[in-house]
Amino acid sequence: MTTCQECKSFFPLDEDQAKGDCVQRVKDPRQAYYMAKPVNAEDDCSSCASFHKKEFVQ
Amino acid sequence: MTQAALRDTSVDVFEKNQEWWWAAEKKRSTRLDYLRKAIWKKGAIGGLYAPGVKVDLERAKLHTQKAKEMEASPDPFVMKFAKILAHVLDNKTIFITDQAQLVGYTGSLPHTMAWDPSCASILNEEAYNDPTAIPDPVDENQQVIREICNYWIGKSDLDKMMPVFDMEDLMKMLSGSIGWGVPLARGGYSNKDYEYIMTGKRAFGDIIEELDRKIDEVDAEVHKPGATAETARMYDKLNNWDAMKITLEAGIRIAKRYARLARIIAENFEEDPQRKEELLKIASACEQVPAKPPRTLQESFQYDIFIQMMSRNEAIEGAWPSRPDYYHGPYYDKDVNIDKTLTKEEALDLVGEFLIRAAEVCQFKPKWTREGLQGIDGTWVWTMGGVKKDGSDACNDLTIAFMQAARLVRVANPTFSFRWHPKVSDEVMREIFECIRQGLGYPSMRHDPVLIANSMHWHGHPIEEARTWVHQACLSPCPTTKRGYQPMRMANATANCAKIIEYVFSSGFDHVVNMQVGAETPDVATLTNFEEFFGAWIEQMKTIFSILVRAVNRARMLAPTLTPRPFLSGISERSIESGLDTCEPSLAQGNAWITAFTWVENIDSLAAVKKLVFDEKKYTLAELKEALAKNWEGCEEMRLDFVINAPKWGNDDDYVDDIMLRCLDEAAKFSKVLKCPSGNNWPILPENVSGNIHYANIVGALPNGRRLGDALYDGGVSPGPGLDKNGPTAVLKSCGKIDHITGGRAFLLNQRLSPTQLADEKGYQLWRAYMRTWADLGIDHIQFNMVDDKTLRSAQKDPEKYQEVIVRVAGYSAHFVDISRKTQDNIIQRTVQGLG
Amino acid sequence: MKCTECGNVVPVKDFRYLYNARIDSSISIRQCTKCETWLAVDELNGVVTQAVGAGEAPWGKSAGIEGVAAA
Repeated sequence: MTTCQECKSFFPLDEDQAKGDCVQRVKDPRQAYYMAKPVNAEDDCSSCASFHKKEFVQ
Repeated sequence: MTQAALRDTSVDVFEKNQEWWWAAEKKRSTRLDYLRKAIWKKGAIGGLYAPGVKVDLERAKLHTQKAKEMEASPDPFVMKFAKILAHVLDNKTIFITDQAQLVGYTGSLPHTMAWDPSCASILNEEAYNDPTAIPDPVDENQQVIREICNYWIGKSDLDKMMPVFDMEDLMKMLSGSIGWGVPLARGGYSNKDYEYIMTGKRAFGDIIEELDRKIDEVDAEVHKPGATAETARMYDKLNNWDAMKITLEAGIRIAKRYARLARIIAENFEEDPQRKEELLKIASACEQVPAKPPRTLQESFQYDIFIQMMSRNEAIEGAWPSRPDYYHGPYYDKDVNIDKTLTKEEALDLVGEFLIRAAEVCQFKPKWTREGLQGIDGTWVWTMGGVKKDGSDACNDLTIAFMQAARLVRVANPTFSFRWHPKVSDEVMREIFECIRQGLGYPSMRHDPVLIANSMHWHGHPIEEARTWVHQACLSPCPTTKRGYQPMRMANATANCAKIIEYVFSSGFDHVVNMQVGAETPDVATLTNFEEFFGAWIEQMKTIFSILVRAVNRARMLAPTLTPRPFLSGISERSIESGLDTCEPSLAQGNAWITAFTWVENIDSLAAVKKLVFDEKKYTLAELKEALAKNWEGCEEMRLDFVINAPKWGNDDDYVDDIMLRCLDEAAKFSKVLKCPSGNNWPILPENVSGNIHYANIVGALPNGRRLGDALYDGGVSPGPGLDKNGPTAVLKSCGKIDHITGGRAFLLNQRLSPTQLADEKGYQLWRAYMRTWADLGIDHIQFNMVDDKTLRSAQKDPEKYQEVIVRVAGYSAHFVDISRKTQDNIIQRTVQGLG
Repeated sequence: MKCTECGNVVPVKDFRYLYNARIDSSISIRQCTKCETWLAVDELNGVVTQAVGAGEAPWGKSAGIEGVAAA
């Protein structure tokens, strides 16, 4: 199972590495922005279309 | 205009041609231009949302998920609700737009509309039945919406309240014939205790400390030996305080999430050093506010946005009561004039962005709301100018900066309303005029001395409190103080007043919704003189007002227990002090009003009946009743007689103006019979938003000559479009006959002026002279449209080219291309008044 | 009354009434139920005066424009 913590977009919280944000760059028809969605490090992201594996997983 | 033509044409040429919208595009900074064009249009076009704008399912899912999880929890409802709100804020997606310096949005993504499914289950079906607003994949998400809708049936605020409402009143109100609103504390809007929260003396962290002290004190008190009635009540207070604390802490946490995102972008993605610095500044601002009071203008705006975002996650807020120049002004002064940490240009960028952040705010609304608020999500009427508590002029440099920024970003929402008083400087008046002349349709002008006296007359606010007033929605003044501020849209008692005269002819039976709504007055054909006829009108007026007020009063009484607002309470001194929900009527002075939609139709109709039926005996009431029942079909000559040969309001004609005064007098007398749960009066406030179009197919034919389907007049005490034939001074003289202090709560007046005539210094002086007459006559409100027919017709033909052309609809402005053809035509029909 | 666009002939009342052009004028906007064209209708004489397209104003200028000095 692929988990969020293996993804480039995952940024763990300093105080709790088991939780973090999935941060992504989005360009919609009107504007560009960065968005953050709370996720857990162990969340299954096998079917996530935005998954990009980190080069080094800590 | 093509991009090439826009690039090649100078600002001077655009300004000479009065093509302000294109001039603005060239004049504003690159940042403001980007951010302005980045907004997803959230106001419905006519009654439909723009392509690409979608219902935000994330919020609805988070809310529903937590509600389900907590079903078995022993927590009292207020605690459950606070925890749900905290869950939503902790888990919603957040974003930061490129080039932005301010952050925070109601929905999860820029193109989404936050949807709160917990207010009224019957309205949830609108989300299910609006496939254009359902996000892709539509079929799958429609199923998600269905499940959410099903969950809330029997559990939403309205469902909880229905069994304890007067069902007959509620059905009449919700029939859509006489009311425009749902009697709910979490459905409408709320003012804020800005004197408590926005004066830099405290922020969420300070309030949490105060709450901790209160909780400790009372906890110790209840465990002392002994027991009293007060001890028994203390447990509820403890719950309320705990709930307030939960929401305030959640507010601090979501701000810190924005701070973290800004740092992640700065440290991992952004390469431009200047933008990195801006992102770190955003991070610093979000770490400061709302936990601690703001230190800079940017933080002050950011603090305001967070408060509004929190409030809009707690409830559906269709308005934005605010006085931004007054509360943010000291920070502008500090940054720009004293510390010189911001240039005027940098400050203008921040002010412009603040307007843009507000313009994009949106919550999903049912269609009847959208039709009544065409082109906007809600009435963000921001109050400017006015006097301070001591009576001195409150205008400052930020007042001017707001006027200048508005001309650059040209958003239709928020709009401004300016509290005029005799001490306002010429410099400020010129800035205001420039906004009006450049076709923004705002600021509307309010007569501060009259309205302060009005607040004292109708609701007994002490003068210092009355002087803090802001627009609660479009027009109604409301203080921003502990006891004075209004936490609920009491104007859910909005009356479709054209039904008053319609019901005189149908003995209260509504042929559109097919039910008995009004009073069963005698068959109109049996009435033998005008006094009997007028008596029937009074009875219908009293009946309609009473139905609406009873329902709203009941909702307000039930609000603290059934629909509490822990966050709004958490930023309200009265709740922090008492431990009671802010909607608790005993804590408030009470300043309810009945918004009187479609009011002037009554006056013109009564005058036509008096003249043609009773004075001239040209027609009988039976003949008129029959013509109206046929919607005037086949009676065109008779219809024109009732339009052209009967006196019309707005022409300084005592025949009809006296009828206006009589009607207002009857309404004012009854306003003091009707009482809100705080024990205060219910004055009427004639205005329309775009209810004149929404009700076009709901109000039947009337004796003023309108047919079912025709737009109603544009509202307030504005004369019927094209019927004010005696010039602008005659309009003011008619309106000046009304006592704007004792006659009602406020009176909207639309005027359309010629931009060509008012083009230069002479134009400004003409307008100033006109405004002096307006002020001398003690008229409480006036607003202007100053866009010519040619531009408006061109915009109808080529809407894409005229996206930033703005018109004043009623108590709000909208981009002309976002309102329906019928509304557009109704605005073009208004008389263009020449001054001088 | 005859629709000028599709030739549909039915009584005036069977053309869908939309709204008035001006309350003090006998011109109204109706819609042909056959071809759905918006039509300006002279209600006194029961005839179509023109089809109404975007940006067109069958009732002419706004009231009062003629009285505005420099307009």
